[in-house]
Amino acid sequence: MIIYCKKLKIYLIVVSTLEKIRILGENGKYDICASTSSSRSESAPNLFGNSVNWIGSTISAGVCHSYAPDGRCISLFKVLFTNKCIYDCKYCFTNVCKKRVSFTPEEYARTFMKLYSMNVLEGLFISSGICGDADETTKQMLETVKLLRFKYNFRGYIHFKCLPGTSYYLLKEAVQLADRISVNLEAPTKEILAEIAEQKNYNTDIIKRQRWLKEIRNKHNTKARKIMDEQKDNQFPKQSKSEKNSQKIKIEEDEWTDEWGITRRSTGYKKIRWDGAPILNSGQTTQMVLGAGSETDFDILKRLDWAYREIDLRRGYFSAFTPIKGTPLERKQATPLEREHRLYQTDWLLRLYHFPIKEIKEILTVDENLPKGDPKLHLARNYFGENGKIDPNKATYKDLLRVPGIGLTSARRIIQLRRDNLIVKSRAQLHSIGVILKRADPFLRINGHVQKTLDVFKPI
Amino acid sequence: MIKNQKNYSRLFGFSKEEMLTNLPRHSQCNPNLLLKVQNTSESILKNNGSQFARKINRMLHEIFRELERNRQFTRTNLNNHGVLYGKITLSHQSEDQLLKYFHNRFPNCFICLFNTIKNETITMNEKAKIQKFQVSLNKFVQNISRNRPITPYFEDISMNNEEIFQEFYSSQFIASRENRKYFKKMIPKYAMEMPGMKGGVEYKFRNNQLDKYINKKN
Ligand code: SF4
Repeated sequence: MIIYCKKLKIYLIVVSTLEKIRILGENGKYDICASTSSSRSESAPNLFGNSVNWIGSTISAGVCHSYAPDGRCISLFKVLFTNKCIYDCKYCFTNVCKKRVSFTPEEYARTFMKLYSMNVLEGLFISSGICGDADETTKQMLETVKLLRFKYNFRGYIHFKCLPGTSYYLLKEAVQLADRISVNLEAPTKEILAEIAEQKNYNTDIIKRQRWLKEIRNKHNTKARKIMDEQKDNQFPKQSKSEKNSQKIKIEEDEWTDEWGITRRSTGYKKIRWDGAPILNSGQTTQMVLGAGSETDFDILKRLDWAYREIDLRRGYFSAFTPIKGTPLERKQATPLEREHRLYQTDWLLRLYHFPIKEIKEILTVDENLPKGDPKLHLARNYFGENGKIDPNKATYKDLLRVPGIGLTSARRIIQLRRDNLIVKSRAQLHSIGVILKRADPFLRINGHVQKTLDVFKPI
Repeated sequence: MIKNQKNYSRLFGFSKEEMLTNLPRHSQCNPNLLLKVQNTSESILKNNGSQFARKINRMLHEIFRELERNRQFTRTNLNNHGVLYGKITLSHQSEDQLLKYFHNRFPNCFICLFNTIKNETITMNEKAKIQKFQVSLNKFVQNISRNRPITPYFEDISMNNEEIFQEFYSSQFIASRENRKYFKKMIPKYAMEMPGMKGGVEYKFRNNQLDKYINKKN
């Protein structure tokens, strides 16, 4: 819509909110790291004022309200704040986007609240191009979040995107307002980032910000916990599950405690990932673009391993590169989604199953990429050998976890049954526990019997 | 009471205590069944090894699945009097849980949900008091709104938002990632037939895409 402004004596193009949603939603959809996850509990302090009119909750977060035709859930309002950007990363839409629009903080906040009242969203994922400079845009984004938190009294889930190069004081503010913050690494090393986004400085713009986030989070939470403890002295304690967990925590031999009092595994990863922290409860995440640069899978896994140890990354996300017409990389082939899938599988093995990265290195191909097929299967073949089998009634929890088809839940169930003196006697029982027999069979000896599924031993 | 449903039921299976408290919610539950559960050991009940355990777990999952679907796919409206209303389809007795879910999100709103299966309106006020009425939703919302003041705060965020959602939903589609099978798994047919989803954004959008796809092939 074009209107004439009498005061400025110029014609202004007014873009409707609906059109902004369309343009900025399309620009923002490639950011994959947008799942709702929060362990904020009722016992957490009220961080966002004492208004009785508050709206929203993170306690029931995790419900997805709709699914895109690709099956991904749309649980967060994932629309950029602006698509104006001073950078021109080679894989990004900014190179081709003709219409540059921005929301105003009020417009953005109100649109989000409208959708939230419809029960179609679980929270907000606020990201943006860099308009002017990183601080300027971050201030606008923070303004939006503040409106949500203090005008609309929104207490639900907010994922805040930290733009490369944001100042420390703004990050400090963001940490106190958001449930999760992410800084996108985009590439696993400095050199590879230079190939695809030459204006960004890997160490100062990104890594430094990630380290700051860890530091600010830990500092704030130590303080917040102290205050909570003081308050609790006068009250009957009401504990969340994570708080109870952290009290139950037993330090085993190869575990240690860092300078913040956080217990870590021998690998350096946090022992309790969901620590129930009152501030920035869902921690920090990151995202890497796969296939836009010349990175190998091992480069990516090494970077993730570093991030889990050094900056307490909650999890990493991968976005398979899709060429956008008109960008410098338009002729580059799209990365197969299978690569993304294999990396996610391996990331789970690192993060949740605690497989050491050294072992994962052993299954890589000559060009340091993951082999075809399920990485857990390759690891199991290496570990058990061609004919190695385990008895589910005798194997340790760690060994059970190494068997493809046995996940964290089924391994725990088997151990629990054993504690109750109940022994697994047949494959059917294992199946009922949740074990995927097709994959697990070749590695199991149940009641003295073995069963081979030929598929599993076929070369992939 | 459904206790910490997310933390425990999904990961470790339902405990016997949870089974006994939640089974009565099922529309086909009877005292004999409860007695049998009481007399069976927890590890047998938890591990789906026997037919009985499978039946019990199926019944529990039916309750929770229905509840979860209603949490996900109930589309609500908020009017400027602070009344949040929508239609639901609950065949089991878990209305209190659904009301609680909305009350947790909108504690200062009056929640009205019309159950299309039982033909009744269930409500929860700001003090979490639950009531049931045999009145149609529109009539009830009108009556209740009359006694509540217009609040600019709610006026600001209420409106017909269907259009906004449609625009937002369509903008999130990545063609290269289209996976119809997965979509169908996540929103099965019965979910598409829920009152909030009938002819809703997802349904329309998907059909549009299908038309385009078919035309292209021709
Ligand atoms: S910083 Fe790079 S990736 Fe982000 S919006 Fe700007 S050009 Fe795109």
